[in-house]
Amino acid sequence: MTAAGRSGRGSTRGTAFRESMLGTVRLDGEDHTRRVRLDLHVTADRVLRPLGTTEAQAQGRVRIAGWANDPGAAGELEISPLARHRIRYRITFTADGRRLALDGWKSVTPRRPLASMTRLPFTLYEDGVRAGEGALRFPLASGLAPFLASFRFPRNEGGPDTFAPPRWSGSPGRTEVWYTTATDPATGTGLWLHHELVAPTDGSAPYAHGWAAVFPTCGPVTHARFGPAAWERPQDGFAAAGVAARPGRLTGSAGDLRWDLAEQPAGAPLFTFPRWSWRRPLLPAAQMLPAARADYSGTVSYGTTTLALDGVPGATARIFGHGNAHRWAWLHADLGDEVLEVVAAVSTRPVLRRLPPLVFLRLRRRDGSTWPRRAERTAVGWAGLGRFRCAIGLPTWTVTGRAGLRRIRVEVTQPADRTLALEYTDPDGARATCRNTERADAQVVLERWWGRWRPERRWTLDGTAHAEVGTR
Amino acid sequence: MTATRRQPGASRSLTGLAAALLPEEREAPEDPAARQADGSWHARVPARLESVVASMPLPARIGIRAAAAALDGYAVVRTGRRLAALPAPERESVLGSLGARPALLPLLDVVKVPVLLAAGTERMVQQGLPAPALLRQDPPLDCTPSDEWPACSTADAVVIGSGAGGATAARTLARAGLRVVVLEEGRHHSTASFGRRAPLDRFAELYRDGGATVALGNPPLLLPTGRAVGGTTVVNSGTCYRTPDHVLARWAREFGFAPAARLGPYLDDAERTLRVARQPLDVLGSNGRIALAGAERLGWQAAPLRRNAPGCMGSCQCVVGCPTGAKQSVQLSVLPAACAAGARIVTGARVLRILVDPDRPGGARAVGVRVAREGGGTLEILAPLVVVAAGALQTPPLLRRSGLGGHPRLGRNLSVHPATSVAGRFAEPVTAWEGVLQSVGVEELHSQGVLIEATATPPGMGSFVLPGTGRELRTELDDAHSLATLGAMIADLPSGRVLGRDRVLVRYDLARRDADRLVAAVRAMGRLLLAAGAQEVLTGIPRAPRVRTLAELDDVLGRVSARQLHLSAYHPTGTAAAGADPERFPADPAGRLRGVHGVLIADASVLPGCPEVNPQLSIMAAAHAVADLRLGR
Repeated sequence: MTAAGRSGRGSTRGTAFRESMLGTVRLDGEDHTRRVRLDLHVTADRVLRPLGTTEAQAQGRVRIAGWANDPGAAGELEISPLARHRIRYRITFTADGRRLALDGWKSVTPRRPLASMTRLPFTLYEDGVRAGEGALRFPLASGLAPFLASFRFPRNEGGPDTFAPPRWSGSPGRTEVWYTTATDPATGTGLWLHHELVAPTDGSAPYAHGWAAVFPTCGPVTHARFGPAAWERPQDGFAAAGVAARPGRLTGSAGDLRWDLAEQPAGAPLFTFPRWSWRRPLLPAAQMLPAARADYSGTVSYGTTTLALDGVPGATARIFGHGNAHRWAWLHADLGDEVLEVVAAVSTRPVLRRLPPLVFLRLRRRDGSTWPRRAERTAVGWAGLGRFRCAIGLPTWTVTGRAGLRRIRVEVTQPADRTLALEYTDPDGARATCRNTERADAQVVLERWWGRWRPERRWTLDGTAHAEVGTR
Repeated sequence: MTATRRQPGASRSLTGLAAALLPEEREAPEDPAARQADGSWHARVPARLESVVASMPLPARIGIRAAAAALDGYAVVRTGRRLAALPAPERESVLGSLGARPALLPLLDVVKVPVLLAAGTERMVQQGLPAPALLRQDPPLDCTPSDEWPACSTADAVVIGSGAGGATAARTLARAGLRVVVLEEGRHHSTASFGRRAPLDRFAELYRDGGATVALGNPPLLLPTGRAVGGTTVVNSGTCYRTPDHVLARWAREFGFAPAARLGPYLDDAERTLRVARQPLDVLGSNGRIALAGAERLGWQAAPLRRNAPGCMGSCQCVVGCPTGAKQSVQLSVLPAACAAGARIVTGARVLRILVDPDRPGGARAVGVRVAREGGGTLEILAPLVVVAAGALQTPPLLRRSGLGGHPRLGRNLSVHPATSVAGRFAEPVTAWEGVLQSVGVEELHSQGVLIEATATPPGMGSFVLPGTGRELRTELDDAHSLATLGAMIADLPSGRVLGRDRVLVRYDLARRDADRLVAAVRAMGRLLLAAGAQEVLTGIPRAPRVRTLAELDDVLGRVSARQLHLSAYHPTGTAAAGADPERFPADPAGRLRGVHGVLIADASVLPGCPEVNPQLSIMAAAHAVADLRLGR
């Protein structure tokens, strides 16, 4: 996360918890009460402030016996048990086709802390007019343990926009990359847009350059370079030589390649390398995805062909560091409901280059969690034990590893005819060759230990994986 | 002669007290059934006294019971029997021996007040209550008892108190389109309900502490305030004076009270709303006519008062709620307009505290109120604007228990219009309680801070205490129809303060200047009565209760101080005064409480100084102005 992103929100972590309450309501015009159940998932963009006030959003379900069962209830909470002595709930929901608002608050008093923190009197309104009155109670005996266990303090990643602005602050010997890969499922065509800023080690002026490449199913790989051009220090992303990669929008042309794409991020940021290495650039380089997955719409034309893309899947990644690795392999695999990102690299540093590749493997699961939980786990394991392994090679390279009760095997094949070989230049002038394809094949097998290793998921990607192998 | 029988529901000592202070005229029948059948009002006095005492606040209750018990104890020591068990002559002698001690006379006068109240009521009941004709139907009000109000609700503005200030502020805010909720600790009483019940039954309900609110000090002052939808305007006399120009000038110049400079149009509006007009002479009553005659003979400036009672029928019950609906108390005039504009009134709602969010950007902000329901439990109303109009005696404690009482001058600066009354005995019957209760204003001495108003009440209900005990008192009570009563209130220095958080404690030390003014007022009233032809003047001074000439009166007044007068006080103002100096005034010139956002003061407490006249119009105009300023007008 950038400094600007942090200062903009004031809190690097949020709060999430679940709360369920039971009670009764008496609707106006009725002579009996109805049972009510309120299940809420509450999120706040800051850590709860016990002495202050926290505004939070709530989503969940409102059930009123014989009348309402709305899983789409939403609203907000004002959590201020000590400062304002109040925890206020304002939830809107639909009942019997009518839009209703539940407004009530717990009035916290130190004289009766338990009773006042668990009782929520409320009033129902329809169009601002009272429609009923009731009270909910937090069931301490059955509800406290799940309530406490549900507390999470997730990191505030910020939106993908947070990661688009350039990181480079003027030091020599740095390279920074914005790159986007996508696959058009209709034609099977792969797309690669690479935007790079290089600040040479010798202190000469930084320059921006890059290339675009199209990997059609029928026909050869087409690519064209743009730049080098002077770096004008844009504020919000990459912009040089008529090419721009800004939040939500990618435009430019190189040779006879033209593109104008709108980017719609989907999913939270995915840090392939440890999160701290992006915030504090202590590693030779770090890579991350502002959004684990993004959809692209717009046009790409090359030669006489024009592709009209409509929400095709892909991703944009960011790299910031001192240069390219000694050897590396990269995979971005959109597995449908999950996303797999792998970077295996051997550092150029004198001692480190003798080590086997450090593997950073991140599997973003359907529920938003990431496996393995810590990025360091796959790279270094437990002081080297249990680290993930990568056999870098061409046309096939593999990654295997085990973390917890799961193990994974990834086999990537980059057929030569679908692969584009390009030369990279490091800030120090050294050169490396990368072989990249956005039409790679991949086999991913995830297994779970349950007495023995049993297959959990298996994905086969046929020409839709994005992969690269770099060598010197 | 037999001992007095204890009535069911009356304690022995109170029965004894009533019997001793007001003996029966003749021997009552032995048989209780026969006594009841006899229909003697006297027999019902102890039970009535018991209910009067029960409606009083705890300290007064304890005081009266202790006094009764002490009297009983004295009787036991002296005669071996309790008062109730003594024959009438012995009771008379016991009381006579006490009355011989001048130091005990003021104490006896204090215990006389509830006894006279009870006796007056029972006599009135016996004589038959006149069936008042309802002048007009009450306009509708949107009242909800607090027990039926939701526990959590919201509004754009909460107004605490439905008296002159609260009602006017509520109407102004509601007409501006705000969702207004008015919270009233008392209940709503309709005009028809007034007509159905005896005055004393209304007394206990309409007044805070059963009318026995006392300002402690030397001398102590009785300071009755109303508690009902409509506040004290339900039980005031209906007299409507505009704030005098010199008072407004002083408020603007000395205190920097912003609305003072432009209060004129607001006073006009209040007068229109209340249909204020000079009281016609037809129902004025003998009391007022005597005052006019006396003033005419002295060449003094006097006239029927301007009142808010069009079509007043002279029921003389203003102080317990007008039974004909003539008096345009705010619940008949201002609150209906507020309700028509969408305001809602919650009755039986005592505000426990104003809810304050201390962590709002820009500083602490009031966000609503917590209210005690009549039937137990609490409710809360959230609103970004809280208008405090609980009255000058209740506003400071409310702010204190809300954590907003930090200003050192909050509760101080209390002016109360100390008042005293004098009666004159006339040869021909006066029957002062047939006519307008407060009928004529004598403004001759107003420039000297004394305003005389001919004020008559049904016997026992006024602030005038008949002299004597035992047979003497009984005779006075029976002869009450020949008395004309005048009252005088003085423009005082702000000599009081309101203490307390949960319970109100009023402290008032009469300033020397004001004591002199009170003595001057008694002299002026005596002079007026004598000029009108009074045979004797009842001074209300225990040591010299009757004088026959002005020279005698001067002689008596030369020997007494104001502390020996029967004093009461009305119109408390100024305890959360608004003004320019942040160190002197808890509220800023626009009536916003300092130190917190979102609190307006809109009752008598916002007035920076003594208004010197009956203050209903001043309070309404100030509240209107404060609310208008809040609305940016």
